[in-house]
Amino acid sequence: MKNVLWVQFSKDKRNPLLVLLLIAGSIVAAILFGGGIQSATTVGIFSEEADAAEIEDKWEALLNTDDSFTFEIVEPEEAREDIKKGNIDVAVKVMEDDYRLLVSKNMPTVSSVERHVDKAFQQEAQISAVESQVGEDVRDEMESYLEDAPFQLEAQGLDSEQIPTYNIRTQLLFSFTFLISMFILGFKVNNVTQDKVAGIWDRMILSPMKKTGMYSGYLLYSFLITMLQIVIVLIVFKYVLRYDVGDSLWLIILIAACFTFGMISIAMLITGFVRTPEQFYAIYPSVIPLIPLVSGAYMMPGTITNSVLLFIADLFPLAHAMEAIMSVVFYGAGLQDVMMSLLYMLLIGVVAMGLGINLVERRSS
Amino acid sequence: MLETINLSKSFKGKKVVQDLNLYLADGESVGLLGPNGAGKSTTISMISTLIKPTSGRITMNGVNAIAKPGEIRSVSGVVPQELALYQELSAYENLKFFGSIYKLRGKELEKAIQQALEFVGLDDRKKDLVKTYSGGMKRRLNIAAALLHRPKILILDEPTVGIDPQSRNHILEAVRALNQTDGTTILYTSHYMEEVEQLCDRLYIMDHGKVIAAGTKDELLSILSTENKIKVELNKLDEAFVEQVKTIEGVHKTEVTELQLKIIAAKGSNLISKLVHLTEQHQIQLLHFQTETPSLEDVFLHLTGRTLRD
Repeated sequence: MKNVLWVQFSKDKRNPLLVLLLIAGSIVAAILFGGGIQSATTVGIFSEEADAAEIEDKWEALLNTDDSFTFEIVEPEEAREDIKKGNIDVAVKVMEDDYRLLVSKNMPTVSSVERHVDKAFQQEAQISAVESQVGEDVRDEMESYLEDAPFQLEAQGLDSEQIPTYNIRTQLLFSFTFLISMFILGFKVNNVTQDKVAGIWDRMILSPMKKTGMYSGYLLYSFLITMLQIVIVLIVFKYVLRYDVGDSLWLIILIAACFTFGMISIAMLITGFVRTPEQFYAIYPSVIPLIPLVSGAYMMPGTITNSVLLFIADLFPLAHAMEAIMSVVFYGAGLQDVMMSLLYMLLIGVVAMGLGINLVERRSS
Repeated sequence: MLETINLSKSFKGKKVVQDLNLYLADGESVGLLGPNGAGKSTTISMISTLIKPTSGRITMNGVNAIAKPGEIRSVSGVVPQELALYQELSAYENLKFFGSIYKLRGKELEKAIQQALEFVGLDDRKKDLVKTYSGGMKRRLNIAAALLHRPKILILDEPTVGIDPQSRNHILEAVRALNQTDGTTILYTSHYMEEVEQLCDRLYIMDHGKVIAAGTKDELLSILSTENKIKVELNKLDEAFVEQVKTIEGVHKTEVTELQLKIIAAKGSNLISKLVHLTEQHQIQLLHFQTETPSLEDVFLHLTGRTLRD
């Protein structure tokens, strides 16, 4: 086993570019996509009423209540021109008691903006309705009443006073790290097929080396190089880029290790179906990008509700890994809390590995 | 030493090797000759215990080697037809790995690497990456990788495919030295007749999965001892003429190459006068005429009706 590990390492030492690029790629992707979503989206507002400036000022103040969006007053012509050219996705035309959305393309941000604007207008409409009935300014009165309302809602964490704060940026960091790791481990597992086609596998079979040693060498190397990538990315994000990845780094690494084992087994299973490394290169990269999509790794937890998709996601380790990691990072879960997810990943790993090696051996004979 | 008895292999119902009986004595150099697709590589894979035969037996010093593949594996080195090497590593690194899987360690491993590199003449290029090597150098390294553990039997599957004559000679000389100096038993497959003629004490000729002839070179040539091989060069050749040549009494085989006609005919068949008569009939000019002693190539032609390159 040690000699297989050594020879695989020697090959990568000679040509480390691919592994380094993939490690850098996972960091860049997490920063690009995570950063993009986290930063507040700027939305232009304008009015074409007679008292446009007054209306714009009023709604600018009422709409800018959330960190997710920044509403800025813009010129109507400028907003229309940007919408026409597709430079911006959405702009809001505000009136005294109503609004219109100008949309260039139907992006996810548009519906978020619409929800936010609609909520602000509804709230304002309710206050206006109360005012018209009472006949005086009740805004200050309402605000002071709400501060000391008879029913108070207090959100609290399960085991702590701290309220858990979900952060998609952190989730995407793990999503992209795992996506890239799936490619790294797949390419390394494919070395089995490569060496079989080259005849090197046969040389090993004829030697006193045991088959378990051969498989262990390839799979352990694939595991170690993937864990190296994951640990490097985590360390860079936690200690260099100062991302909040929770306090239990060891538990996250343990989850990542179970995930890596599970995915190596899936890669081995795919290896069992192919004859040549080229076939693997054609199939594997086509399948892998679908796994995070089905597993909801790029979306807020609970977005995917379709039972078929949820079932498919459960067949892959990624959904379980993401669930466990989110629990650890956002809710401070311990080993006991994520044990079920770990066992699922290990089970997937054992079953897929058994099937995969069996298929590879059948093909050989 | 090593024997196969009625060895057969089928793939998806198609018989690739049929009832092959082969014997390899200690220190012998045996050739397995046949055209592409004759079943040589499958035979080699079975003998080296890489694949299991569908039926038949393989024994090594009387022990069933199918049940106990270690009997053959521990004493044999296999040079595969493909280049089973890590292209992105150096020759030294490749040999270090292949030596280590045979449990060679430390000084013993270093010595084995050095000897193997010197033997195939790659010592001065040992630090270079294999992908920078010529085809011939890669083939030589492919052989070196099978010699590290000093096997008693060396099985070579077409080790000279696609290389230049110089490297080919180097490989043939090396194999001969292994057999004659070190006493290594050689099983050498090829579809190059001259290589097998040059290297091997005994030959097995295979075609369509069967051994169609076996014996020493002289024994095989004696198959054609009652025949003559005649080469005729003509100014033109037409089909009707060749067809008529075939009908001459005593003619066994004809082979046409451009304006040359090769005829294998029984001795004393008065072929020459009949040929001259036919050329006059067809108004063909006879340019050159030569009688040759039959070669192993002719034996193969005689046995299969086709040449080794077909």
